[in-house]
Order: sequence, then structure tokens, then C-alpha cells
Amino acid sequence: MAHPNHQPRALEGVRIIDLTWLQAGPQATKILASFGAEVIRVEWRDPKAIDFMRYYIPFAPNHATADGGRVQGTAPSDGIPGNYDRGAYFNNTNPGKYGITLNLNDPRGRDLLKRMVSDAHVICENFSPSQMDDWGLGYEELRKLNPRLIYLRTTGMGKAGVYKDYVSYGPTAQAFSGLTFLSGLPEPAPPAGWGYSYLDLSPGYFSAMLVMAALRRQRANGVGTYIDLSQTETGLMVTGTSIVEHQITGKDTKRHGNRMPYREWAPHGAFRCTGDDNWIAISVQSDSQWQALVEEMGSPEWAGDQKFATADGRKRYEDELETRLTEFTQKHERYSLMDRLQARAIPAGVVQKAADRLDRDPQLKARGYFVDLPQSEIGTWPIEGFPAKLSASPAYVGGLTNRASPKLGEDNEFVYRKIFGLSEDELTTLTKENVI
Amino acid sequence: MNNSNLHDALKGISVVEIGDQLGDYAALLLAGLGANVVKVEPTQGAASRRIGPFVSDTPSPEDSVFFWRYNLDKKSIALDLDNPAAREPLGRILHKADVLLLAGTFEAVEPQIAQYRELAGDNSGLIVCTITPFGLDGPYRDLHATDLTQMALGGVMAVCGYDPAPDRTYDTPPIAPAMWHSLHIAGEYAAISILAALNFRDLSGEGQFIDVSVHEAINTCTEGAMPMYIYNGQPLYRQTARHAMPVPTQQRLVASADGVYMLSVVAPFPREELALIKLLDQVGIDHVLAGPEYDDLKKEDPIAALDYRNYLVEQVVGELSAQELFERAQSLGLAWSPLRRPEESLEDPHFAARGTFAEIPHPELGRSIRYPATVAVDGHRPHMQYFQRAPKLGEHTHSVLQWAGFGDGEIASFRQQQLI
Repeated sequence: MAHPNHQPRALEGVRIIDLTWLQAGPQATKILASFGAEVIRVEWRDPKAIDFMRYYIPFAPNHATADGGRVQGTAPSDGIPGNYDRGAYFNNTNPGKYGITLNLNDPRGRDLLKRMVSDAHVICENFSPSQMDDWGLGYEELRKLNPRLIYLRTTGMGKAGVYKDYVSYGPTAQAFSGLTFLSGLPEPAPPAGWGYSYLDLSPGYFSAMLVMAALRRQRANGVGTYIDLSQTETGLMVTGTSIVEHQITGKDTKRHGNRMPYREWAPHGAFRCTGDDNWIAISVQSDSQWQALVEEMGSPEWAGDQKFATADGRKRYEDELETRLTEFTQKHERYSLMDRLQARAIPAGVVQKAADRLDRDPQLKARGYFVDLPQSEIGTWPIEGFPAKLSASPAYVGGLTNRASPKLGEDNEFVYRKIFGLSEDELTTLTKENVI
Repeated sequence: MNNSNLHDALKGISVVEIGDQLGDYAALLLAGLGANVVKVEPTQGAASRRIGPFVSDTPSPEDSVFFWRYNLDKKSIALDLDNPAAREPLGRILHKADVLLLAGTFEAVEPQIAQYRELAGDNSGLIVCTITPFGLDGPYRDLHATDLTQMALGGVMAVCGYDPAPDRTYDTPPIAPAMWHSLHIAGEYAAISILAALNFRDLSGEGQFIDVSVHEAINTCTEGAMPMYIYNGQPLYRQTARHAMPVPTQQRLVASADGVYMLSVVAPFPREELALIKLLDQVGIDHVLAGPEYDDLKKEDPIAALDYRNYLVEQVVGELSAQELFERAQSLGLAWSPLRRPEESLEDPHFAARGTFAEIPHPELGRSIRYPATVAVDGHRPHMQYFQRAPKLGEHTHSVLQWAGFGDGEIASFRQQQLI
């Protein structure tokens, strides 16, 4: 059977020079590598310049070796000082990419980058706003070398506009866009916010979209594209209903917890089950689903109260309804309850933790969502895959390298010699002189 | 050679969208890049027309704000899809299509795939993309789902919510962080997949089939939670307005002098600590962050050092208004921000300069409404642009049928048969 990376690729022949780091940028190139682009990740080995994700928790356990991996067992780890190849999150975000080192603070490094860019299709970066211009590697300079170039720049606020020099992490963009405000129980409770940075992920999704749109145009007309992408704007895109509603009603946006304010769906929330911090989401959309839930609960007397007989009533007395329902759910095991409610056609889903998703979720297993990939220092680990199946040009998270993340500079020899044609002497000299 | 703007990058690409709200956002994104999106609706209207909020107290298919937001720049044809005679107009529409987007439950979507592919005839370049709650195979494919239950099963809710009590137990439930967010994530991945398929079609001439699973799409979105478990076997604690972590971390939601919550993080980089020192000095708050006693404290008791630093952050946040804090902190290189309501960005000059919001005329209201429209600019103009409000039900039935090649007489006959 042909290996997945031998199947036809949507981005066959596309070369991407990837200067991104942290999460927002590498997420984009993870997707583009999955579709077969040749992604060359450029890093520098000065500890002050190394991608934070290479030396931030979580790490692979200290006992993990190149010929092992998850089969050797899991364990907490604070990493191994001076080793930048054991970052677990880095491994999950950077599969399928080639890894090289290059010192852009050295003019010879910048010249080498220009040489690489001259026949690349795409360059991506998410440095702080002025960095590339300071190096003389801004879009205007690079397009002189390669007019077809697609230049993707991701920053918190965008490189044009009043806040063009403002700095941002994902949570900053989330706060500014309104996404943090939207999450949580109604005021006066504070916002709950997000337990992760959607705005470090969503910019990657939009980047992949826009780059692929620009690639079609580049292929057809030979034109390049400059993409100044704003993390904050990717957040605003998904707050649109609130923004439009405000303009019509003049009212401030409100939070609603897990409830559904715009349809008479109740109960509609997360309810406690047996065990430690175990919950089930239940979402009743109709009278028939409510009746089925009542039957599943054994038709308790309270549920027969007329005030709960209609959707309108259940909505009006939602506080009491939730309290009563919790009295029932907290006596039940979450998956068993989900199965019984689903059998009665009631939308219900366990609030799954990471362990549930990796070890138990039969759907993710059946669909092959996790892909085991080797990494040259820590061995083979499951990598989160692409959430869609394409019949003719499937996404494969192992990309062209058929590997998880690159070790720092792992592909210097292959990329500089085979792809860019440096001689062995040049490579040796530039490495010795701290350029590569 | 000029660089290009992408608002018309999909000019000439026709997308036919059929189904429920799971498809609305994906097609909206493609419309923003210039695709011709034809929304084929049943005669009673698409499901997303029945989702609030509504403009009036008596909801109708024409005044769903939800529908308005997710259906800009689309054309609506109302067709009695249950009538076998609808095969003829639908077949011709599909024959002209580049992309068919089918969204909904497995039960609704699965039978449509073969049927619509057959109707498309020899359109071998057609890209068919389905968006279903769990994908088209696997043991969960038939599960009943809503946005909330998907956010639960997909893993996002487990990492979002409020701080645990000091004994690390929870008295608040996990929170689905924004309404209808499952359709956002799945829609973004569907748009990515369709663009990949269009690239592949450029190379090969072939169309293909895409099966997007909302469940898997949500699963990609829990950031550190999955690696923490895969590698370290560690569960995470969800926390108020900050990342879920293996051990609860310091509270950091602090209100400014004018009562606005501020995101006021000082990341573990020396430059950020220096910036905090400058900010404290500017505001006149006494501290020992720059002195040897703080260095000693960091070595002897890092948690106490962090507590002290957080105390100082609370002091400075409480001294200034949110806007002043935002500007001062940012000018020093601190990535701080007020927790805005979404609508507060409408009047922000930054977004005005970038063209983030598209001003869309609503003639029936006698006014325009601004919609978030783009995530990127080309240096001058937005890469994604919208021009038309969401369509009324069947507003473009005639013009879409003309586009599909039907004459006025045939269209009149469809009307007589109550097909349209």
C-alpha cells in the first residue's frame, strides 16, 4: 500500500519559506505542509531567538528516545536544559516541515534568505511588527527579487492601522476582539474567557485559506500577494452576530453561559455526573425530547409540573429546571447516560477531557484522527491530524518529511545542499562562522 | 507586476450551498473571496433563517440577524426539493457548479450525495464537500448533536470555564466559550479544504469529495490540553480567563479604574518585566522589582515573587482607565488589552483604517449595517470584501435559473408547478 505521502498533493511543487514561530504562524504552515507544500522552517540557534515553544511545557518525558516514544510511557517533565528538541506542543504544531538554522542578524544570512526567497512561492512570518523591515527583508524588498512572491505576515493587530506597532499574544487579541467577553455566565459574573488561544489557531486557518487563494492566482497570472493578517480580526469575524445585533437594538452584548437565548431550547447546559469533575452537555430542543428525558429520569413528580410542559415554561423556569436535572444527572455515570439519552434521540455529549478523546473516543479512532509520527529525538507520538477527508488529494499531517517536527537545524544538509545547491565547503564554512 | 488583492480570487467559481447552519459560515468565507455562492433553500427557507436573534418580536425568515450575518453576498433560490420535478432545475445548477456544499446531519446529508452527484452529470470537476456533526463514517456518525453537545464532546468545554475552589474542585460547569462556535471552526476547515481541492483541480482537472467532521474540527482546537496528556499524562484545570493548566495559576482578571476588566499579563521574558518596571515608575507606584531583594525572592521563593509582581500589576491596573492602560502598556511593549465587548471595535479608528467592517446597505431598514468582513489587508484594501446584504428567501430564483440556462417560459412553468 502506498504511504499517505505518496498520494497526490493539492500543493505539489509549492515551496514555502517559513519564518514563523510560537503558534499563530506555525499553525498555518502545518496545514499547508499537510497538503503537500515543501515547508522549510527557518530558525536560529541563539537561545534568545529560539522558538519559545521548543523550551516551554509540555515536554516529552525525559526517558523518551528516538527509537521509542509513547510506547515508553508518559511522565511529566521540565525538559532537559539546553535541549531544544523535546517540546511536545512544538512537536504537535510543526510536523511535516523541514528544519534549518539561519542567522538573519548576519548579512550573509540575510543574503542566503534572499537567495531562498527568489524562487520560493510563499514566505510566512509572525515576528513583532518591525522585525523584517529592520532586517531589510520586508515585502517591498523581497518582491524586487521575486515579483510572484506571496508574503504572509501575521501580527496581533495587523501591520496597517493605528495599532500597527502594538504587540499581542493570542489572549490579547481575544480580549480586544470581544471573544473573551462573550464567554461565560451572565453579568455580574466576570467573563470566563477561553482556556486556550483560539486566536493563535484561527489565524493559521485563515492564513492557509488566503495563501491557497493567492497560489491559484500566482499560478494563473504570475502575480504576487501581500497578506497583512490580523489575529484580532479573525476574532471579530466570529463575533459578527453580536456586532450586528448591537447596531439594530442599540443594546450592549450580553453573555449567556451555556444557555441558548435565541431559541426556546431548555434544558441547555452542562450537568454534573458521578466522578471527579465529570459533566454531560444536554440540549433539549423540543417537547418530544423533553418527554423522552422525563421518561429517562423515571417520570419524577417535579417534571410533571405544568410549568415545564411547554418550551416557553422550561425557558422561564430554567434555573429550577437545571437544579432539578442536576439532582438526576449527578447520580449517573456520564457515558452511560449519554448512550441512554442518545438512544432516546436527545442531543447529549460528555464533556470530554483530553484523556477521553485520546484513549476512549471511538469516533476519533475510527476516523484515524491521530496520526503516529516519528521525531528524531523523542520517538513516535500521536499528532493531531486534519479534520476532513479529501478523496483525491488527502491531507497528511506528516507532509513531505513523513515525520513530526524537525530538530533544530535537522535538515541543514539536505536543504542547503540538495535544494539550494550550496557546496559542502560553503555549508561547512557558514556553519563554522555562525551563519547557519 | 502589481501585487494582487484577493477579494475576487474566486471570481468565476460557483458554490452551491444546500443544508443547515453548519454550511453558512464556510460559504460566507468563500463569498468574501469572490465566489458566486448560490444558496438553494427549501421553499420554507433554510434552517438558519429560524435562528435568532431576530429584528422584530415576531420572528420571520427574513429578519434573523444570525442569517443576515452568515449569508452576505449570497444568492437565494427557493426550490421544492421534495418534489421529484425539482431534479431538472437542480441538475442544471449543479452542472454549472464548481463546488457543492452539503451541510447537516448524517441522516439528511448522506442520501443527498449520490443523488446530487448523479444530477451533476458529467461535471467531473465538481468538488463535493459535506459538513456533518461527526463525519460520514464511524460509530458516532448518527449521534444527535447541537452546537453545545459538540463543544462538549470535542474537548473545548473541558478547558473553558471558571477557576476551581482552593481544594481544586469545581462549583461551576465547564463553559462553551461562544455560541455557535462549532460551526465557525468547521466552517473555517471546510473553506480550507475547498481551497485545497481547487488548487488540486488546477493541477489535475479533477474534482473530488471532501468529508468534514465538526467533531474532529473542534478537537484540533484545545491547544496545549492534548499534548499535556499525550506526553505527560497530565489533566488540566480550567481557569477564569486564562489557559487551562496542570496546576492552577495566579488569577489575572483585574478591573481598571473605570471598571473594565484588563488582560494584563507579564510574560516570562526579561523585556516584559522591564516594561512593567517602567509602567510602575510612570504611574508612581513604589516597588522593588529592580532591586536585589526581588532577585533574591525569585531565587528563594518563585511563587512569592510572582505573587508580589501580580500585586503590583493589580495596583497599576486599578490606577488608570482601560484606554490609558492599553495605550501606555502597549507603548512599552506589554501585550495588554481591555476585555472589550465586540461592538466596541465598530468605532475604533484602527479598524476604520483597515476596512475591517463592510458597510452593507439594507434598503428595507433605510440604513446600512457594518459587518466584520476581513481578517487581512493587502497594505491598502481588505482581502475579503462583501457588498450585498443576505438574500431574502428566493430573491434570486429567477436570475439563478437564467444563469443555469433556463428561459423565461421554463421558469414560468416551474412557478406554475410550485417548484419555485
